Amino acid sequence: MLKTLGNRLQKLFTKDRDTEGPSLDTAAVEELQLTFKTRYYSFRQLLTANTKTLESMAEIEKALQGFEPFSFSFVQKACGTVSINVFSMIQHMENIAPGKYSALRESFASIQSRIDTLLRQKKELSDRRLVIPLEAITSDMTDVVGGKMANLGDVKNRLQMRVPGGFVITAAAHELFMNTDGLQKEVDRLFQVAGSDLDRNLDLVSSQIRQLILSADVPEPIYNAVIAAYEKLKQQHGGQEVRLAVRSSAHGEDSENSSFAGQYRSELNVNFAQFFHFFKQILASKYSPQAIAYKINKGFRDEDIAMCVGCLAMVDAVAGGVVYTRNPLDRRDDNIYINSTWGLPKAVVDGDTLCDLFVVARDEALTIVREEIYDKAFQVICYEEDGCIRTETDADTAKLPSLTEGQIRELADAALQIEDYYESPQDIEWAICSDGTIYFLQSRPLQQMEASLPTDELNLDRFAASLLTDIGINASPGTASGRIFKVSKKVDILQFPEGAVLVVEQALPTWAPLVARAAAVISERGGFAGHLANVAREFGVPAIFGVTSAMDMAENGELVTVSADLKRVYLGSIAPLLEWKRPELTPMKGSPIYELLQQASRHIIPLNLIDPESRDFQPQNCTTFHDITRFIHEKSVVEMFNFGKDHHFSERSSKQLHYKVPMNWWILNLDDGFVHEVQGKYVRLEDIASIPMLAFWEGFVAIPWDGPPAMDGGGMTTILFRSTMNTALVTGSQSKYADRNYFMISKNFCTLSSRLGYHFSTMEAMVSERAVENYLGFKFKGGAADYERCLGRLHFIQEILERYGFRASINGDNLDARLEGRRMEYMLERLKILGYLTLHTRQLDMIMGNNAHVKYYMKKLTDDIDQILVGQHTCAV
Amino acid sequence: MNCAHITPSNAMVQANLLLVDDETAFCTDLQNQLQAMGLCLRAATCCREALQLLAVQDVDVVIMDMQMPEIDGIQCLRQIKQHWPEVEVILLTGHASVQSGIEGMESGAFDYCLKPIDVRELLDKVEWAAQKALINKESKTTDQDRGVAGQGE
Repeated sequence: MLKTLGNRLQKLFTKDRDTEGPSLDTAAVEELQLTFKTRYYSFRQLLTANTKTLESMAEIEKALQGFEPFSFSFVQKACGTVSINVFSMIQHMENIAPGKYSALRESFASIQSRIDTLLRQKKELSDRRLVIPLEAITSDMTDVVGGKMANLGDVKNRLQMRVPGGFVITAAAHELFMNTDGLQKEVDRLFQVAGSDLDRNLDLVSSQIRQLILSADVPEPIYNAVIAAYEKLKQQHGGQEVRLAVRSSAHGEDSENSSFAGQYRSELNVNFAQFFHFFKQILASKYSPQAIAYKINKGFRDEDIAMCVGCLAMVDAVAGGVVYTRNPLDRRDDNIYINSTWGLPKAVVDGDTLCDLFVVARDEALTIVREEIYDKAFQVICYEEDGCIRTETDADTAKLPSLTEGQIRELADAALQIEDYYESPQDIEWAICSDGTIYFLQSRPLQQMEASLPTDELNLDRFAASLLTDIGINASPGTASGRIFKVSKKVDILQFPEGAVLVVEQALPTWAPLVARAAAVISERGGFAGHLANVAREFGVPAIFGVTSAMDMAENGELVTVSADLKRVYLGSIAPLLEWKRPELTPMKGSPIYELLQQASRHIIPLNLIDPESRDFQPQNCTTFHDITRFIHEKSVVEMFNFGKDHHFSERSSKQLHYKVPMNWWILNLDDGFVHEVQGKYVRLEDIASIPMLAFWEGFVAIPWDGPPAMDGGGMTTILFRSTMNTALVTGSQSKYADRNYFMISKNFCTLSSRLGYHFSTMEAMVSERAVENYLGFKFKGGAADYERCLGRLHFIQEILERYGFRASINGDNLDARLEGRRMEYMLERLKILGYLTLHTRQLDMIMGNNAHVKYYMKKLTDDIDQILVGQHTCAV
Repeated sequence: MNCAHITPSNAMVQANLLLVDDETAFCTDLQNQLQAMGLCLRAATCCREALQLLAVQDVDVVIMDMQMPEIDGIQCLRQIKQHWPEVEVILLTGHASVQSGIEGMESGAFDYCLKPIDVRELLDKVEWAAQKALINKESKTTDQDRGVAGQGE
């Protein structure tokens, strides 16, 4: 195709040069028409690809603001779309100007390979051991054992605090597991098939993948390594069987900006006989619906997350809970917050029960400044066989504080040491066994929020009538409004509308996927140490838990305002509360996906080739896709514009315009420029279908020309002198070019080569409903007067064109004006202006020496144009 | 995604489309959508079947998955362009690397759609390809009129 087109063009041009006058036979006209169609087509395609490239770039820039979650497949697709469309532009450019810009391909290849390298990057594991004992683990081993276990390793080995014995099944083991029998490939395929419908099919895809993992065999090397590690643990426990707490320790879990709180599975009190079953359950929990949703929202690639599994000797706890080394809801509050309950800490973490709160001041004595003791009617304890059980606490014990003063201080003191060590606020899980020994089970960075609402200024009494509830706890600060949507069954998840207020009975991790889509969360039960509260805080979604009447206080669809800071819910939209905005969170910033996109974007977004006039505006200087796009766009318009310039055609192959009388305007129909087949030598205006030509003509005939301006003496002398030097300038001479104008048209396209009087102008226009493809180019050159005056006229025309929105520049004695991408009506108005100017700037160069004349004509021309644009002109020749 | 409300252009209605993909669910889905729009779409599940169809049927635009059993999309594309250069081919793929798509375009593919497929985007490309195929046909006729048929594009 390309070759043929090149040949055709070459043939056409050769023919033109060889023959004396401008003439093309019928076959040549047919070829010209085909050449036009192909070029025209390529050009339109090129512009479409240009638009898509710019749109994808805009999407990338928007994603880089970090407010909205995006996935690795977004990064792949956005970068891929840019690449494909830039490449497509290069191909179309080659169709338009074969062989001329071949250096573009090299620039493209080098940019593309840099992006490819980034997107294909895979981290190599620094340690290939399949199982590592906890005694050998430190926090610099995050990539090997996951953040959770790496941190715990430090607490045990560097801080020398009491941590149960155990071992970790590593990232290398996870990799081995997933690469056995093509498991990972099948997982990738399932994600790919789900594609953009993943949201809708989340449950299905999740269950397919989990089934795959659960039915896979544990590879023998992993099996053997685990058995060996367990035997060692047994020896440490006097040769007795040891029940295990089996916990996820995935990559990215428990890192500063994303806790994956409660997204993965943990199993407590596991009998080793069932160990491998639970091991697979935990690996599979990487693909639970909430974990997949969270992963996408937080910007992790599937391959970024290796699921390491921590196995610790189970602590048969009589009490347990969580210590926050600072107030997670208020950065200014540096007290230590201890949440505690009877039994295993699981009850606190799962957010399904009320628990005691002890607030300890950071002073030397570790003063207990606040105690809130609740009726802890239920507790979770180890079951005799294996697993855990939720059981009633006996009534007397339930109301007692779950910690002694000594234990509170011991916990607070240890918590401060851990905070000191990590140099950041921590969220620490602990358990106390029957002999009173405290064990630390987990330590991770604490998410903290900004200061809360300035209640005094808000004068809240005035909204008292709309108050729905004012009980509950601030689980995630902020204020938002939205319509109530109650969720009690899993199927409700599918119906949950974007931006609604999520109302649930219990703050379960199951609802986590909805949090990112919710305006606010209200729950009847649950505490601020629970998983759902964590997730809400990460996404900056306000949440109030413990609103006992939540499910009944309003109907589905009712608009409410939720102020977590005030622990209040109001009916309707309460503007003063909503207007008090805290700084927006950018949950994506700092995530691996974000970093990746940011790096890739450096090869896509920056624009270095700015000035087309500069010597550096060369294909080999394109260092980003934006550069290539800019370069091609610029050059394609120039190339298309040259199309009409080099073709002249005989009067036989074209029709003469008959507008009241036969005129010196010839028209060649390139495609669908005529309304119907036109017989004979003349074509009338009503036969013409070319939208841009008709607009141009309307402007051309809108206002009659007064004839040449009265010229001053200097002007006349020049013209007489120059006429003797250049016969082509003299009307009626041998030259076929004098006062002869050629249109090449199709329905949406039109080129014009025009010589009126002593100046030469060309115009090319493409106008249709597709604004992105619209463009208008106009060149103006020459004149009979001396250089200074010709230049004067160019500046005169430039000023007018710029006034009406053209970009116009002057090089030597050429004026070059351009307009692109505007709506059809706008383009047609500008075509009328060009039509008008083509006629009315005739011989204006003659008066350019006279300021008063220049002023007069400037006013007259712009007045005329304004009149044409409002449609009040009289039609005349 | 339902695109039944999109009005296809003349070029698109006139064009004969062929979908080649071994994933039958996707084939059926796309076939239903395009037929609802009044477009003519045939389907083949492998390259061999596609080539057989091309030999006996008038086809203007082929929409083809790059990953297929036996003969992959690139090889199939090359065979199509060798025998029927005027036919335009749009490739579909889920490859992470854009390189394969570019390789496809170098081998004469008209365009390239990244999976997951956005049906609107695909239709847009089919529209362009149909227009291009019309020009190809016209160009072939012009060449034949002049007795230069057989030289190929």
